[in-house]
Amino acid sequence: MRPVAVIGTGQTKHAKARLDVSQPELVREAASAALEDAGIRPQDVDAVVISNMELFEGRAFPELWVGEGAFAAGKPCLKVATGGTSGTSACIAGFHQAASGAFDIVLVVGFEKHSEGHTQTGMALTDPFWDRAVASGAVGNFALSISQYMSARGVTEQHAAMVAVKARRNAANNPHAHLQMPDLTVEQVLESRMLAHPVRLLDMCPQSDGAAAIVVASGNAARRHCRQPAWVHAAVTRHDQPYLGDLDRRLVTMRALRDAARAAYSEAAITRPLADIDVAEIYEPVTYAELAWYEALGFCEDGNAGRLIEEGVTGMDGELPVNPSGGVLSTNPVGASGVIRVAEISAQLMGRAGSRQVPGVRTALATGYGVYAWSDVIVMRTEKP
Amino acid sequence: MIDPTDEPLSVSLDMDLTWRYAAGDAMTRFLEDVGRGRLEASRCDVCGRRYLPPRPFCGMCRVRIDGWVAVEDTGVLEAWTVVHLPIRDGRTGEMRPSPYGMGLIHLDGADTSLNHYLDTAEPERLTIGARVRAVWRRDRRGAMDDILHFEVLS
Amino acid sequence: MIVQGSIRLSFTYAAGRIGSRFLVGLRDSRVILGAHCSRCALVVCPARAFCPVCSTGMDDLREVGPGGTVEVWSTVPGRGTYGMIRLDGADTALVHRLLGDAGLWEPGARVVARFAAKRIGSITDIEGFERGEP
Repeated sequence: MRPVAVIGTGQTKHAKARLDVSQPELVREAASAALEDAGIRPQDVDAVVISNMELFEGRAFPELWVGEGAFAAGKPCLKVATGGTSGTSACIAGFHQAASGAFDIVLVVGFEKHSEGHTQTGMALTDPFWDRAVASGAVGNFALSISQYMSARGVTEQHAAMVAVKARRNAANNPHAHLQMPDLTVEQVLESRMLAHPVRLLDMCPQSDGAAAIVVASGNAARRHCRQPAWVHAAVTRHDQPYLGDLDRRLVTMRALRDAARAAYSEAAITRPLADIDVAEIYEPVTYAELAWYEALGFCEDGNAGRLIEEGVTGMDGELPVNPSGGVLSTNPVGASGVIRVAEISAQLMGRAGSRQVPGVRTALATGYGVYAWSDVIVMRTEKP
Repeated sequence: MIDPTDEPLSVSLDMDLTWRYAAGDAMTRFLEDVGRGRLEASRCDVCGRRYLPPRPFCGMCRVRIDGWVAVEDTGVLEAWTVVHLPIRDGRTGEMRPSPYGMGLIHLDGADTSLNHYLDTAEPERLTIGARVRAVWRRDRRGAMDDILHFEVLS
Repeated sequence: MIVQGSIRLSFTYAAGRIGSRFLVGLRDSRVILGAHCSRCALVVCPARAFCPVCSTGMDDLREVGPGGTVEVWSTVPGRGTYGMIRLDGADTALVHRLLGDAGLWEPGARVVARFAAKRIGSITDIEGFERGEP
C-alpha cells in the first residue's frame, strides 16, 4: 500500500439551522474550502467519497443531489452511512482508495442538515421486531449504559460536567463550532434540564447543520501539493453485534473501540498513548462517553478517567489535549462529525489550527463512534510512514 | 441577468411511509411464544451463548443457530434510566408519553440482556442488581410490547 | 410472520441561494429561470447552484421558456402524462406534467407553461405544459 496523507481541510460554519443554503450549497462551502486549503483545482480530484445519514433528512441517494456540490459529477463517487462513524469511515475509505493506487487525490466530504429532518426518529427506525418497540433513542440508550459505567468506575456527574465545560470552552477558540459558551460553568451543567437520568441537556451534543471535507493524496501527490502533509499511520474500523443487550456493559468494556485502538497503536508503534500522542479529537456524543473513551483508548488505567479530567490532563494546557475543537459536544452534524475529527487533527499536524493550535504536534489521534459500538481509530503524524 | 430579491425559501413535504418486514423463522417462533406468555432464547451450539433477541446465526462464531432454551420472565436489572426527553415511537411516528423507565434486564437463563421499559411507580427502587419480573399484557398479540414493562420485586 | 409499520414524517428543505431565486421567480413573476455557467456556457433549468458538467458555481440566472419542446414523454395510468421538456433558451430538459389527452404526444411537440393561479414558491406553481406556442 502507498503512503497517504491529508493535504487540505475545509469546514462550514456549523449552526443549529443553515437555512441560507441548500444541501448542495452547504457541501460546496466545505469542499471548496478544502480544495483551496490544499491548493488544488476541482479537476485535480480523482474521486469523491460522501458521508451522510440519508434517513435523517428523508431522501434517497443524497450523493445524487449534493454530488455537484462536492465536484463529483463525472467522477467516481461513493457514499458511507454508518451512523456516527460515517465520517471517519468515509475518510478511511478515501485513505484506502489513495493507498491502493486506484486514485491519487480523493476528496472526502461529510455533511448533515439535522434542521431539515428527523434525527431522533431516524435513529428509532431500527430492527422492527424488537428495537422499535423498546428502544429509546440516542439519549435513552446512552443513559442506560452510563448507569453501568458510573457504577463500575466511580465516575460522578461532576466529572461529566467538567468534560462539558472543557468542550464548550475549547469551542470558543474554534470559529466553525456550533455552540459558543466560553463562560459555561460546572454548576450550570449540573443545573441544566434532565433528559434521561443522569444525562442532562448540557451533557449531550447538539444537532447541527454543517459540512466538512478533507483532501486525501497518495505519497507523491502529497509531496507535490503540500509542504507539511498530515500522514496516515493507522486507520482501523470495527463493528459489533446488533443489539444493545448483546454488548457486555457497553461503555465499561467498549470492546470495539479497545480492539480498534489496540490494532491502530500496534500499526503506529504507540506504546504509551498518553505520552506518545500529542493531540486527540475523539467522537464524544455525550460527556460520559469521553471519560469512557479515555479508558478504552488507554489514556489512563480503568477507573482513572475522572482523575484525568479533574487534573486537567486533557485540557488545552494538559499533557494530552483532547478535542481542542470543542468536539462533538459543541458541533454535531452527524455525517460530518467524523470528517471534522480527521480534519481537525490534520490541521493540528499541518500547523493550521489557528487559535486552537496545540504547539509542537507530531502525533495525533482521531476516533469515530457510531450506532451502539462501531469504532474507528486513526493515527496521523507529521512524519511520513 | 435577472436578480430577484434574495428571500430564502423552504419546501415542506409530508411523507407517509409504510413498511412490511418478514420476521424469519427465529423471530417468528420467538414472537409467537411471546404471544403465549413464554420466552425462549436461541443458543449457539459452538459457544453456548443464549441469545435474546433470538437470531438465526451467532455473530461471534459465525455459524447458524437452531437450538432453543427456555428463559424465565424474571431477571436482574443491569442498567436503568428514566427518560424525560420525548421521542417518537419508531413503529407509529406518535410521540411516546414521557417520562418512562428503561432498563437492561439480564433474564434468568439468558446470556444477553433485554432492553425494555421499567415500572417507575417507585423510582427509588430502581437500582443496578435489583431483581425484576415481566408484567405481561392480557391481550397479547405476539410482539415485544406484550410485556408492558418490568417491575422491581420486593 | 410479517410486521407492518406506518409513519408520517414532515420535512422542510432549504431551497438555498439559487433554488430560492428560481422559486421566487415562479411565484412572483411567472418567470422560469435557468442558470448560466460562465465556464461551459450551459444554461441549466431548473436553475441550480452548480454546473452539472464542470461543477462551477452558477449565479447568472436567465429567463427561459415559457415555450419549449417535448423531448420524450410517458403516461402513468391514473397519474397523468409526464415529459422531459427543453425550454427555449435552456440546454437541459425539465421533467414536468404534460396537460391534455394521454397518447397525443410526440417528440418535438411544442408546448407552453401554464402557471397556477395561486402560487406558493414551488415547482408545482407551474401546473404543467400544454400544447401551443408562447
